[in-house]
Amino acid sequence: MKYLMMIYGNAEKWASIPAADFPAAIARQDAFNKRYQQTGELLGAYGLADAVQAKLVRREDGQPAVTDGPYLETKEYMASFYLLDCESEERALAIAADMPWADEEPVELWPILHEAKFEP
Amino acid sequence: MTGADSRTEDLLRELAPQVLGALVRRHGQFHLCEDATQEALLAAATQWQANGPPDHPRAWLNTVATRRLLDLMRAEASRQEREDRVAAATPQSELLSAPADEPPLDSDDSLALLFGCCHPGLSVPSQIALTLRAVGGLTTAQIAAAFGVPEATMAQRISRAKQDIRASGPDLTVPAEPERTQRLRSVLHVLYLIFNEGYTTTSGEDLTAPALSQEAIRLTRWLHRLLPSDSEVTGLLALMLLTDARRAARTLPDGSLVPLAEQDRGIWDRQLISEGTALITAALPVGRPGPYQLQAAIAAVHDEAATMADTDWRQILSLYDILVAIAPNPFTTVNRAVAVAMVHGPAAGLDIIAGLAADKRMSRHHRLIATQAHLLELSGDTSAAAASYREAARYATSLPERRYLSLQAQRLSPRA
Repeated sequence: MKYLMMIYGNAEKWASIPAADFPAAIARQDAFNKRYQQTGELLGAYGLADAVQAKLVRREDGQPAVTDGPYLETKEYMASFYLLDCESEERALAIAADMPWADEEPVELWPILHEAKFEP
Repeated sequence: MTGADSRTEDLLRELAPQVLGALVRRHGQFHLCEDATQEALLAAATQWQANGPPDHPRAWLNTVATRRLLDLMRAEASRQEREDRVAAATPQSELLSAPADEPPLDSDDSLALLFGCCHPGLSVPSQIALTLRAVGGLTTAQIAAAFGVPEATMAQRISRAKQDIRASGPDLTVPAEPERTQRLRSVLHVLYLIFNEGYTTTSGEDLTAPALSQEAIRLTRWLHRLLPSDSEVTGLLALMLLTDARRAARTLPDGSLVPLAEQDRGIWDRQLISEGTALITAALPVGRPGPYQLQAAIAAVHDEAATMADTDWRQILSLYDILVAIAPNPFTTVNRAVAVAMVHGPAAGLDIIAGLAADKRMSRHHRLIATQAHLLELSGDTSAAAASYREAARYATSLPERRYLSLQAQRLSPRA
């Protein structure tokens, strides 16, 4: 069963982390990523740029029309996402609970219902 | 793939566990033997397809795999001593030419291999991946594609499993009783999961990925040949055949689901049904029936009914009564509730569902809610049934199931 795991935040929140704490925080996240890559359960881990870089693309009269995003206006935006493939929901929840950030912020977990098949 | 290619592939996959099993018995070191066998299989796939298989395919693979194993062991520089042991243990003739007569199939080697791949120290996904590669002879790329994960991820799972087997101590042997029975249970569970992954993919558009189901059936047939008197192995094989017999009727060309009651029974595979029925009929009277035999017997009763209405629900219910007693499981109870409803009326079935729904995890499972919807509809309460179908759709874990459940909700909702 595949899951999408997401972390939310905003520039203010990231700025509030003392610079001195960053190396340790990154090391904890790297260790997490490595641990679950090695069990064959973490398919990918991605960090997003700041929300000011998000764009909205529409098509108007057949031509692309690009404006500033994000689509939804909220206080916090998705900051990073992780793709998991594990044997059960219990296991996905256990991995989410092992995320370094779970001490401070919730980790959001969505089951993936559908995945397009690609010919190998 | 041409006929010759697929014949070569079938032959290689048949020989894979025999070659690996013999290598492990002689040299130990499962992780290196597995790599060596995999490389020999890849070499064979290219050479045999170009020139046709050699006269003694198994001996050819044994020779190439043993040579490759020696290379791998040499590469582990600090293991000089062990290399000498291998060289001493390997008859020189084996390194040079094929034996004049094919050695008989050594079933203990193959069994030890299968038991090792389903070692309880491994996670279930690792057991599945390793079984498909070491026993099924599939490549890492094929297994990765079947499960829809990147090849690197699958390679990681397999290498992790091999490390864990290495750490778990002695080389692969068939364990003594009572561990043997327990280990055989996890072997059967792994084969069942592989079959199910092919039959009801838990995610994705395509509800039937036949390749994995066929592979599970092939491996279970093979296990049944090795252990012909084990009635649970026979039961599992029968269950797979009796379930697979309905494959063509189970989905429409557009991929949408057809429930048992509405399936075109004329396109059920009669040959699979008679084979499965014969297997389960022979197995049931032998000893105490296990859960796979009981599930196969239930499938056989469904498969022999000409219509849903002709189904012998009393017999199905009595089989579920035994199954619930010997292998309690909430999903078995959900299925039993349907049988109870067919024999004693929908209200009796709904009572059982209500009892299960007290467990919060079950109460959110789409199968429980969908069954509740079905029984509510049978009881004539269409608006409650529609609401339950809508709720079930929200908790569905695959797209075809979600579509099917949404359609049921629409069918029962008054037109706006």
